[in-house]
Amino acid sequence: MKKILQLALGIITSVGGFLEIGSVVTAAQAGANYGYKLLWAILLGTICLIFLVEMSGRLSAVSKHTIVDATRERFGFPFFSIVMLGIVAVAFLVLVAELGGIGLSLQILSGIGFRWWAIPVSIAVWLLMWKGTFGLIENGASLLGLVTISFAVAAVKMHPDWGSAAHGLLPTMPGDGKAKYGFMAVSILGASISPYLMYFYSSGAIEDKWDESYIPMNRIIAGFGMTFGGFLSMAVLVAAALALQPRGIDVEKFEQAALLMTPALTHWGFYLFAFSMLFACLGAALEISLAIAYFFAQGLGWSWSEDLDPSRDARFAFAYTIIILLGAIPLLFGIDPIKVTVMSMALTSATLPLAIVPFLFLMNDPIYLGKHRNGWLSNSVVAIVILISFVLAIISIPLEIIGG
Amino acid sequence: MPPKRLLVAPLVILFACKPPTPAEQMDSALSWVATARMAGDAWLRHTTPDKYTREILELCQQTLLQLGTKLLKAPVPGVDTASLDNLLTRSRGHIAQMAALVTAKNSPGFRQQLDSLISDEVLVKQFADSAESKQ
Repeated sequence: MKKILQLALGIITSVGGFLEIGSVVTAAQAGANYGYKLLWAILLGTICLIFLVEMSGRLSAVSKHTIVDATRERFGFPFFSIVMLGIVAVAFLVLVAELGGIGLSLQILSGIGFRWWAIPVSIAVWLLMWKGTFGLIENGASLLGLVTISFAVAAVKMHPDWGSAAHGLLPTMPGDGKAKYGFMAVSILGASISPYLMYFYSSGAIEDKWDESYIPMNRIIAGFGMTFGGFLSMAVLVAAALALQPRGIDVEKFEQAALLMTPALTHWGFYLFAFSMLFACLGAALEISLAIAYFFAQGLGWSWSEDLDPSRDARFAFAYTIIILLGAIPLLFGIDPIKVTVMSMALTSATLPLAIVPFLFLMNDPIYLGKHRNGWLSNSVVAIVILISFVLAIISIPLEIIGG
Repeated sequence: MPPKRLLVAPLVILFACKPPTPAEQMDSALSWVATARMAGDAWLRHTTPDKYTREILELCQQTLLQLGTKLLKAPVPGVDTASLDNLLTRSRGHIAQMAALVTAKNSPGFRQQLDSLISDEVLVKQFADSAESKQ
């Protein structure tokens, strides 16, 4: 009975915690520019994520190691430090984007500019981390994030053409504007396949004391949770395709995206969008802060657990304190969180090989996984992810830096 | 990676890295006029709060000002720059009026400005289509 409840909670929180500023902004931009044509990118990203999350949980349940632990142990500290540098730098940018997303949500609700929210938001996130437990962070914010289901309600209420939507699940190339279309696909994939989620999930499995008996549950949570989450991303794209594209509106600023649900849900649409983004970004900010602190603590051999009193894992608590405070600084200077989001999605793509190549070695190592090693299907999917991430990196970085 | 893709990827990068063309800037201008119209419609239907509506209308106005300046510096081939500038200036005026009328909670006046903006939107679209066809 306890496992059934955990399973239900796991799926619900995966759905509630799926969307964040990157996935919403990229899906809204894609829908506003290309209608249903980029649904395939969300589908592909979601399939990749299902496999990666399942593997992350399986590694922890079987080996009792987090990905970070196992990477350091298997490849040694010098290699691990390179991985850490890349992953932490990008995760930090994503954290800035999420803190900015909370600030922007509060801005459209209150009329007070997002930069004024930078410090209060950071303190609130830090307080939740300091006082909260892993369960609160994993489940609390994600349960609030269930408000994001309103995107699906709005999409259905706008009566999409299901045939055209189904057609969008197959990759196609537009007649013109191929470069912009390619970049949008790259951004969506970067937003979907986030390494921090793997690190958070594998650390969570250790926090929750998973063992091999959790493998079936892990598979179901990863499969159903990520699939339903992927549907929510698709709903954002469909809503944008129906509400914004016919009017010729592109999503360059957060304020434009706030109109997304108003045609379907009237004044509820505005507030549901604001609260969806507020809770989605809050959940993501908590998870990323925790993932970065886990990375440092596990990589450097510190004592760590979100369930411990901060006095018992002081360096771990110090790590997230500093990270959250540093995350507020760019926002205080008025850096546009949407630009940070776009940049961080591209850099996420660049760091995927760094995260996934060693992960693939681990997932095939009998010392860690014994008979639960990857099969051909998992290996093939991971290999495809590496290939996609490589292509993402070589295309998206120049686009971002030179100003595509 | 297939050799064809290896050739295509740098071309895609080169193509995408050029600064926005005047036609793309025209599309952006149209997008911001359309945003102001959608925000205006939403306010009249009482679906968005006053503060947000004012904020987004001011954002539309500022962005159109920046785009207008850029379009003056790099004129769109085959488009009468003076007419385009007049049109964008007029649209910005309607949007500024709308923002002020939100504060005054003057719905009839707001609707009048919105109707004028809708007429301007049709003309901006014609300019955008013309710029795209000449690209």
